Amino acid sequence: MNIYEKLAMQEEMISPGISACVGCNVELTIRTVMRVLGPNTILAIPPGCMGGVGVVGWDKKSGSKTPVFFPLLDNVASMLAGIKLHYEHIGQKVNVVAFAGDGASADAGLQCLSGAAERGDKILYICYDNEGYMNTGYQRSGTTTKGAWTSTTPVSRQGCGGKKQDKKDFPMIMAMHDIPYMATCNPAFIKDMVDKVEKAMAVEDGLAFLYVYNPCLTGWGIQSDKSIESARAAVDSNFAPLYEVINGTFKLNYQPKETIPVKNFVSYCKKFSHLNDLEIENLQQQTDSKWHRLQMLCEMG
Amino acid sequence: MPEIKVQNGNMAAATGAALCRPDVIAAYPITPQTPVVEYLTQFKADGEIESTMSEVESELSAMSVVTGASLAGSRTFTATASQGLALMYEPYFRASTLRLPIVMAVVNREMISPQTLWGGPQDALCVRDAGWIQIYVEDNQEILDTIILAFRLAEDKGVLLPVNVCYDGFYLSHMSERVEVPDQASVDAFLPHYVPEHIKLDPVRPMSVDPLTNGYLLTEYRLRHTQGHQRALKLIDELDAEFANQFGRSYGGLVEEYCNTDSDAVLVTMGSMTGVAREAVDLARARGRKIGLLKLRAVRPFPGARVVKAIAGRKAFGVVDRSVSFGWGTGITFREIRSAMYGEGSNIPAVPMIGGLGGEDVTIEHMMLAIDCIYQAVESGLSNETVWLNKEIDIM
Amino acid sequence: MKYISDYIVPIGPEGLYIIDTGKWRTRRPEMDIMKCKKCGTCFLYCPVHAVKRHEDKSYTIDYTYCKGCGICANECRFDSIEMIPEEGDSDA
Repeated sequence: MNIYEKLAMQEEMISPGISACVGCNVELTIRTVMRVLGPNTILAIPPGCMGGVGVVGWDKKSGSKTPVFFPLLDNVASMLAGIKLHYEHIGQKVNVVAFAGDGASADAGLQCLSGAAERGDKILYICYDNEGYMNTGYQRSGTTTKGAWTSTTPVSRQGCGGKKQDKKDFPMIMAMHDIPYMATCNPAFIKDMVDKVEKAMAVEDGLAFLYVYNPCLTGWGIQSDKSIESARAAVDSNFAPLYEVINGTFKLNYQPKETIPVKNFVSYCKKFSHLNDLEIENLQQQTDSKWHRLQMLCEMG
Repeated sequence: MPEIKVQNGNMAAATGAALCRPDVIAAYPITPQTPVVEYLTQFKADGEIESTMSEVESELSAMSVVTGASLAGSRTFTATASQGLALMYEPYFRASTLRLPIVMAVVNREMISPQTLWGGPQDALCVRDAGWIQIYVEDNQEILDTIILAFRLAEDKGVLLPVNVCYDGFYLSHMSERVEVPDQASVDAFLPHYVPEHIKLDPVRPMSVDPLTNGYLLTEYRLRHTQGHQRALKLIDELDAEFANQFGRSYGGLVEEYCNTDSDAVLVTMGSMTGVAREAVDLARARGRKIGLLKLRAVRPFPGARVVKAIAGRKAFGVVDRSVSFGWGTGITFREIRSAMYGEGSNIPAVPMIGGLGGEDVTIEHMMLAIDCIYQAVESGLSNETVWLNKEIDIM
Repeated sequence: MKYISDYIVPIGPEGLYIIDTGKWRTRRPEMDIMKCKKCGTCFLYCPVHAVKRHEDKSYTIDYTYCKGCGICANECRFDSIEMIPEEGDSDA
């Protein structure tokens, strides 16, 4: 069965009308992922974009055909662990899934996620990294790229500023927890994403973690029709590579036929428009050294 | 057949919890609660309980795991103390507003700063308005019994609220007493199986839990929450009678009165210091004073009617608090009792007293002093400034 | 006491919350069937899953919730989708 048949066959689990931004690739991600996960899923959506657009619903209605709820920003993994423990206790199989932003995963919720990973709680944790707290007005997070404009690391009237600190390499942090399955995904690579969701669903001996790199149209200043193109550029420039870590073994999933300069990726985003050549060169160097590190890890076998 | 054992407060709590067959337990160790976690994990290792356990990495996770499990449909138990209770405040508030019948033992410990480990109910009293039911107990037998009662109370379809069973750190947690442990069959008969109907995360019955909610709906949920507390007010007394019938032990329900029928003044205490208070009341009575004792058990829901009934018509009352209500300068339960006395009994002189903070002993001398202060108020007909029992004071 | 809600806790068991996002559009995608090579790219990338796949492996756009983002037009390798100004509402 090809990817088109597979996706067309599955029922849409999320409400057809949610107030995500026009062209939002996080909306694309959650719809795709939920088609694969299916109805036997309990979905946790912490405060953030997907919660804000109505995936958890409003008043007495829901945004999902599956059970869905709002955990707190800082306890997503722990609440899911508790839910999963109940179903293990009664011997029932259920997909227990988080769809959480970088704020709830790499910042406020990191402790709970790290604890759940270490304990081997059998949950599927999907983190969508749009590099900031986008739902509340694009505030910076630990995974915001260095130099990026955010509402809490703004650019001065003179044209300099942006976040001073480097981007936290969050998928690597999760990989170093030695969980059974860690994989990075991208909305421009749907078949790869679907394959990874299926692999993650099949994990039975610990936490499965999927990291999706989602360029945020409204927060980064990207044209809506370039939503997928900019995401693809992130992969083709090695800025957000696609790789898997299966029981500690690193595997590169995609090598661009022709690597493009990071500058090309940066040019899609207004949030980088104030960067000078030196700052862009710095980003290129960082990307190159991280890519090198990744290749070394993949070679270790 | 019940068994007589020698148990410290923590063991009594762990035993009580184990007898209630929780499905999921998650707790993080903190002095003086740590042995509760250790005993429960030992029970599990020895195959004495079938609960699924999770050794979480902080109290935030402990309450979160337990909330998640309860949402999915488990009967759950956890325990904590002071700093841990503070750390879990975010999910703690939610546990009551989602109407989850979680039972949590709080081994009352003074809040830092200054750096302290020792017993006192400041921790749980500070969060008394987060919607949980709170019951404070006096001895180890009461710990065990109240935990069993707590599950029955929490899971009642008219209540559906989480319950704190609070007991003094070190005074009870680490002190051994004679405890009668009921047999499993008796507890099973008292405590039916838990099946949630009002809220559940289950693919068989999909619903969204806690969607964004408008104010007019939130108002309704708050109102219904208060009704849960109203139901608990009645049920706590009813269950005490039922428990007494089945197990032979009664604690008075919401409050307990001791030597109070013919009293002309009332001493009010809570927690382990009540034991000393009873001795002091006996001593004072032997010396001719008709003092009565009111032991406060439930702080939430607050037993206003029963407090008024115990104090109305007396010539003064005094409350010995092991806590501080900053900004009022009195103890915390003093304020609650004073509020309840508004209306009938509002002109009765009231003596706020604070003692035993930071784990300091509240001795029989302190209690006799407390009774003296109450009788001063009887004579003068006036309320007092706060008496700090552990400091040097002048008695006029 | 009369209540608006039957529930004692915040739950949403009364079906899906659906926003009429079709009304957001300021431009709409028009597909040229002659140019369409049925590659399925638009189907994969439409964020609201407005592109439907049929039994005969052809694809059409359902305008009910389409927000007019332009991803389908941008990603189509065969120039078969064009974004044109929206006129009227989603069932026009």
